[in-house]
This record gives sequence, C-alpha cells and structure tokens, in this order.
Amino acid sequence: MYQATNILFRIRDKVILNDVNLTLQPAKFTAIVGPNGAGKSTLLKTLAYEHQHFQGEVIINGKPVQEYSPKELSMVRAVLPQNSQVQFAFTVEQIILLGRHAHRTTKSENEKVVDEVMILTGITSFRKRSYHTLSGGEKQRVQLARVLAQVWEETVYPRYILLDEPTSSLDIAQQQLIFSLARQVCERNIGVMAIVHDLNQAVQFADQLYFMRDGKIMAAGEAQTVFTKANIEETFCCRVNLYHDSCNNCPFIIPEREELTVTKNKIRLTIND
Amino acid sequence: MNALLTFRDSKNTMIIVGMSVCLLVTVLFSLSIGAVSIPVKDVAVILLNKLGLFSTVESNSMHEVVMTSIRIPRILMTLLIGSSLGISGAALQGLFRNPLVEPSLIGVSGGSAAGVVMVIVFGASWGLATDGLLYNSLLPLVAFSGGLMATFLVLKLSNQMGRTNIAMLVLVGVAINALAGAVIGLTIFYADENQLRTFTFWTLGDLGGASWHKLIIAAPLLIFSSSALLLFSPALNALALGEAEAYHMGVDVERSKRIIIFLSALGVGVSVSLAGMIGFVGLVIPHLIRVLFHADNRLVLPASILGGAWLLIIADIVARTVVNPAELPIGVVTALIGAPFFIGLLMKAKLKNEL
Repeated sequence: MYQATNILFRIRDKVILNDVNLTLQPAKFTAIVGPNGAGKSTLLKTLAYEHQHFQGEVIINGKPVQEYSPKELSMVRAVLPQNSQVQFAFTVEQIILLGRHAHRTTKSENEKVVDEVMILTGITSFRKRSYHTLSGGEKQRVQLARVLAQVWEETVYPRYILLDEPTSSLDIAQQQLIFSLARQVCERNIGVMAIVHDLNQAVQFADQLYFMRDGKIMAAGEAQTVFTKANIEETFCCRVNLYHDSCNNCPFIIPEREELTVTKNKIRLTIND
Repeated sequence: MNALLTFRDSKNTMIIVGMSVCLLVTVLFSLSIGAVSIPVKDVAVILLNKLGLFSTVESNSMHEVVMTSIRIPRILMTLLIGSSLGISGAALQGLFRNPLVEPSLIGVSGGSAAGVVMVIVFGASWGLATDGLLYNSLLPLVAFSGGLMATFLVLKLSNQMGRTNIAMLVLVGVAINALAGAVIGLTIFYADENQLRTFTFWTLGDLGGASWHKLIIAAPLLIFSSSALLLFSPALNALALGEAEAYHMGVDVERSKRIIIFLSALGVGVSVSLAGMIGFVGLVIPHLIRVLFHADNRLVLPASILGGAWLLIIADIVARTVVNPAELPIGVVTALIGAPFFIGLLMKAKLKNEL
C-alpha cells in the first residue's frame, strides 16, 4: 500500500495541500480529478518524495518514504511527469534503458525488460530512432515504457507508477491507448495513480477516484459510486448532466452550456441553486 | 548498472580505440617537430629507451635532452589539459542539459583567472619565488578555489525552487564573469611591465611554461578529476531527461550535481593555472562527438577526454610551427580552429532544428 496521511504542504503562507489523505492499492488504478490549481501535481510530487518539506506521513509498503534512499525508492515507484523534455539526441532504446539506471541487473535481463515494455507499448519498430523525430503520442509511449521498465520485474513487494496527466495533448485514440496500457500493467501487481483531466475517461478506467479542489480531497471512493452529479459540480463549479453509457456500462457527463454573468468585476459561470 | 556499462559497448569500444590510435600518432608527430626537428624514428627510440626497452640502440643525446626536458613535459601537459577541458565541458553540458554551456560561461574560467592573476602580480610581494614549489602548488590551488567559488555562486544564484534556471544561469554567469574581469583589471593596475606581459600571454593561453615541476603537482589532480567524472556518465544520462526525472529513476541528484561541479572546477581550474585561458575545447569537442556518434554520455565523456587532448595537441603543433621559431598563443589557435567550426555546427543544427 502507498499511503499518504494528513499531508499539509505550503509554499510560504500559501497552503497547497490541506490535510490530504490518500491510499493507492496495489494492482488498482486510482485517478485524481480536479480543476486546474487544485494541487493535483503537488500531491503527486509529494507522493513521489520530490517535494520533501511537507507535514504528515507518506508510507510505501509499510515504510516511511524518508527512510528510502533515492535508489530504493526508484525500485518501488516510478513517475511520469508532465511534458518531459530530452535535451540531447538519445534513441528510443537508450531512453527506455535509462529506466534501468538504478537496477543491478545484467545486460540481457535489461534487454528482456526493454523488449517487453516496448512490445506492450507498441514502439518496437522505432527502437533505434532518435527520440526527437517522434510524434507527441509516440514520445509519450516511449516515456511510459521507460517508467514501466523501472518497475517491470515481479517482486515480492508491490510497485507503483504515478502518472501526471499522461494524455495531455494527445488525440483520443492515443489517450485511450495510454489508459488501457496503464490498466493492463495493474495485473503485474503495480498500483497505478494518474492525474486525469477527462472525467469520462477517469470513471471509465479507474477503480478508485479522488476529487480534489483547493488542496483538499472533496470526495473519494469506488469510481462509479463517487462519480455523482453533486461531487462533480461541487469540485469543478460547473453544471453537468450525468448519463449512463450502456455500451461501456459506465456513467458519463456532459457539461451544461451556461451564460456568462459579471459579478463584482469578475466574469464567472453561475450555478443557480 | 552492469548492463548500462556494456550497452553498445562493442561499437563504443571501437570508437574509443580508433580515437586513441589517432591521438597516439598525433602525439608522436608532435614530439618530432619544433625548433629542433627530430625524426619520428628517433622519437620512438628515445621513448622506448626511457621505458627500458631496446636500450642498446643509440640515440642522439641532444635530441634526447630536447625530448625529456622540453617536449615530453609540454606534450604531457597539453594532453592532460586538453582532456580535462574536454571532459569538464562534456560533464557540464550534460549537467545543465544545455549543449552551449562552456566552463567559461558558468564562471569557472573567470574565477580561476582572477585567482591566478592575483598570485602572478602579488606573489612576489608575498615573498613567493616564481618557480618555487610553493608557488607552483599555490597556483593550481588558488585557480581551483577561485573557479569553484565562482561556479557555486553562479549555481546558487540561478537556483529557483530547487531547480537550475538556465536563462538565469547564463545571465548570472555573465555578471560573475564581469566581476572576475573587474578583479583581474584592478589587479593588473598594480602590475609592472613584466607581469603585464606574462599576464597578456597567459590570457591567450600558453603551453610554453611546461616543466616537470608543474606536472608533478598538476597531473595527479587532473587525472583524478577526469577519471572521477567518468564514473558519473550513467547519472548524466539520467539527468538528460531532467533533474526530477533523474531523481525518480534513483539518482541522488543534489549530490551528483555538487560532485560533478566540484570535479569540473578542479579540472578547469588546474588547467587554467597551468596554461591560462584556453577556450573552445570544452565547448566544441563534446558537441562534435554527439554529432558524429551519439549522445550517450558513456561514450561522450571518455571520447571528450581523447578528443580534447587531440584538438589541443593539433593546436599546439600549429602554434609551434607557423611562426617558427616564435610561438603563437595556444588560445588564439584553438579559437581560430574552433570558432568557424562551431559556427558550422550551429548552422547544421539550425537546419535540422536541433537547438
């Protein structure tokens, strides 16, 4: 289990995370949704122990995150940040091999891992290509492959991957592909957490769903249970209508078109209730 | 780890072996030419004699003196300086994730130069004999501390929320270099004619002052910094994806960063103290290797050692021969070779949209 308890994170006086509690289960897909500036990325960075000055506790597999060395930490969790940039002309294969940086495994073991993650993410054919020449969707799959290579081997302890908006700026087919891949790796006893922008995708793929706003968890639980009109409207300040898609057997929403009103020199969408 | 080291190893080994052979040939050639021309055959005989082989073969004793007291120390120094500048440039470019970073840009050279100039000008009044052991050991030390101080200052000032802001880094580098320039200017104000002349040659780079005395102190430092930097090639590869990403993949980023900067400042600082400011080697060589081969730092770092040494040896040959029996300052030659070449690289990069 990957557990965050009573997390408080502030930059100077501004509270970014306010008493956040979150649990990632192994082999489950947990999605975080919320408006821009809700603190989702900060939460992810805190879980990854990239932000180290927080109050509260982060415990991975029963051990506080502070007690892990960077190397040990990289064996249990991998992170896909938003828009990673690669400065030098590395090949796809080299990038994925970087995920094996901290592992003391042999060349052939590493190559086996790289082969497997490449097959899963469907990038085998551009193994030797320069990363710079790839399209956005291809780059994202290479980065995902790198993240997977880091925690690929089956171990006695569960591993986790944290994905920060893994589908931003991708077309819908690529988006579905990335989320399907993320779901599939859950089977290897990997817990997946993703920050998701599209609510319909979040409920379609996630087991657990967290609603976040202003640094607080607004609602959390089984995805289909907490995916309610009230939770969504309260979190996003936007009126929505909830429907049921019988094909995917899954709820979905369509936001309502609203008139702009000007109150106290601010333009905002109003919710009349 | 193991696998990372052997990845692509056969191809990399071939590149490294090829470059080493080139370097060796150039070194032999370089030993044979100069004010007194020594045939390459004699060069080989003298070298082998020194190593205790074929000692029965007679060699010209004048040649031997020229070789052992002038050329060999000079070429060893050239090799060491070239390789240190090359690998420090490669490591700093990797660390800052920017192919345009050069030791001088982040203040190492400026800081070292300020330190060295102060010793050159005020050394005599502090009671230091200009060729004493103390003087020779103080010079690299001062250069190193000056370079290190300037670099840390640049790094500290350009740090934003735990990350190095590259635009900030460049601007702060400009400021620190200006400050170092002011310190140098002020010091020169107190210099006499002779010191001024020494200083002018020194700013343009000068390999002529090589001696075994200097080498004994500088060589271990340069060899240490270069070989220690090699250990960081895998970490530098991970850093190419970004500092946060490298941390996620298990690299202790802050520690690696500090050690890499320390080692680069050591290499560049000691080089500056030996031969003055030699530009372009640290910038062009790593860049060239990335363009010619690939960007994997497990190749770029060792190849920059060989390439840096090679470029400086070539530049030294040119410097010693074109105005024979006088000498051109080495920095002028590296800039003359390096600048057009670098512009060419930039144009090529522009066409391919790489920068």
